[in-house]
Amino acid sequence: MSEFKIKAGLAQMLKGGVIMDVVTPEQAVIAEKAGACAVMALEKIPADMRKSGQVCRMSDPKMIKSIMEAVSIPVMAKVRIGHRVEAQILEALEVDYIDESEVLTPADKQFHIPKHDYKIPFVCGAKDLGEALRRIHEGAAMIRTKGEAGTGDVSEAVKHITIIRAQIKEAIETLKTEEQIEAKAKELRVPAALLKEVIELGKLPVVNFAAGGVATPADAALLMQLGCDGVFVGSGIFKSSDPAKLAKAIVNATTHYQDPKAILEYSTDLGELMAGVSISSIKDNERLSSRGW
Amino acid sequence: MTSFTIGVLALQGAFFEHLEFLKSIVQSPEYSAHTFQFVQVKTGEQLATCDSLVIPGGESTSISLIAERTFLLEPLLAFVRDPCKSVWGTCAGLIFLAQHLKNGKKEQKVLGGLNIEVTRNAFGRQLDSFEQVLDFSSFVPGLTDFPAVFIRAPVVSRIGVVDLAEEGLISSSNPILDEPVEVLHKLHRNGHELVVAVRQGNHLGTSFHPELSSDLRFHKWFLDEFVLKSAS
Repeated sequence: MSEFKIKAGLAQMLKGGVIMDVVTPEQAVIAEKAGACAVMALEKIPADMRKSGQVCRMSDPKMIKSIMEAVSIPVMAKVRIGHRVEAQILEALEVDYIDESEVLTPADKQFHIPKHDYKIPFVCGAKDLGEALRRIHEGAAMIRTKGEAGTGDVSEAVKHITIIRAQIKEAIETLKTEEQIEAKAKELRVPAALLKEVIELGKLPVVNFAAGGVATPADAALLMQLGCDGVFVGSGIFKSSDPAKLAKAIVNATTHYQDPKAILEYSTDLGELMAGVSISSIKDNERLSSRGW
Repeated sequence: MTSFTIGVLALQGAFFEHLEFLKSIVQSPEYSAHTFQFVQVKTGEQLATCDSLVIPGGESTSISLIAERTFLLEPLLAFVRDPCKSVWGTCAGLIFLAQHLKNGKKEQKVLGGLNIEVTRNAFGRQLDSFEQVLDFSSFVPGLTDFPAVFIRAPVVSRIGVVDLAEEGLISSSNPILDEPVEVLHKLHRNGHELVVAVRQGNHLGTSFHPELSSDLRFHKWFLDEFVLKSAS
């Protein structure tokens, strides 16, 4: 239990912050100077992965290492869903957090990585309460509600945090007896004790960030107002015309998310933003957020 | 009846937990003679209402950069200079509260509330984070078994005078405070003796995170020894 406290504890320290996708040490430095609380090191940002149509795997450890050397904030890196060897490699590399990510091409269509087996903490995606709790039960120390990565369209991220919050509220209001909790836990395929913990806390037992499609300071503030603990920003920053300025503005807006006058200032004169792809133009079977089981 | 306003710096990091701990402690009947207000501090106006401030864990670069960009740095420097105010920094908060920072980023600022030099990420990366039960009874009566959580933690690497010309050293623009620095706890780990808790007057700094331990005793000591005493 002590070990899980250490894993979940780092996520506690990231709260109220912005985690930025970076593909080079130079971008990592821009992110750090903008006030990012961590960076996600990857070879291609999701917008480019989406275009490529290729199999997307863990990044070259050499590239991840160069980012770890360039900055002093925590460095995260992604592995394919279910790919326990990629996770072993990142643990050997000593990254600070592993993201078992649907943005990469899944390696196992049935099982996720048994995350309790690792000393490095994991963050996993989820689009509803059942998925979040299954990941936590497997050992995830942080959840990111899925958006549709690489689109610049925030609507899926909004949808999924709203669903999770609504499902928690419903559980609190409707599950009054042990039998009801057990039946619901069975339906969600998680232990009853975990569901009970959620009902007692009124929230997930680990830190919950939002991810996918965040492109503006207002998007970040919106997700914070909806109850997220912080945000991941992927393609949005480095697909814009002035990444350093936009990165700072998103960090500021995440802190001052309840202050419209401040967000007005941060939203002004940011240059050209990521053009993006609207969700409705992407076929259901091409959506990354549907990966994960 | 005395009224106290305790703020927790809420720019980034684990500020919520500190507030919950302190709110929970003051429910006890022993504090019924006082009233307490708790504030999430994001602006100078909010800080101006506070008698006491907790600077939480988080990322020290994020907290410093956001403070500076949102015009909170000057009010924080003034708060730390005020002898009537108590301040406690945990982990990133310890870094921010120091006079000198050894391996910081050059854009980073420090508040100068403790006349010490701090070294960031002194134990290494996340893989080197740990929990250890520590005996704090030499300064907190009876606290022999406190579960201290260290996450990518800093340590106090020097106390008092340092060579200001040293390359890469970041120093506070605030003057050095007069009171002596008291070492409260040295951690023994891997053959080293590392300073992880210090006090200078009304200022307290800890490398670890009492707010992650689900044990209220350390926060209660801060409330009794710093918040209540510095006002009287």
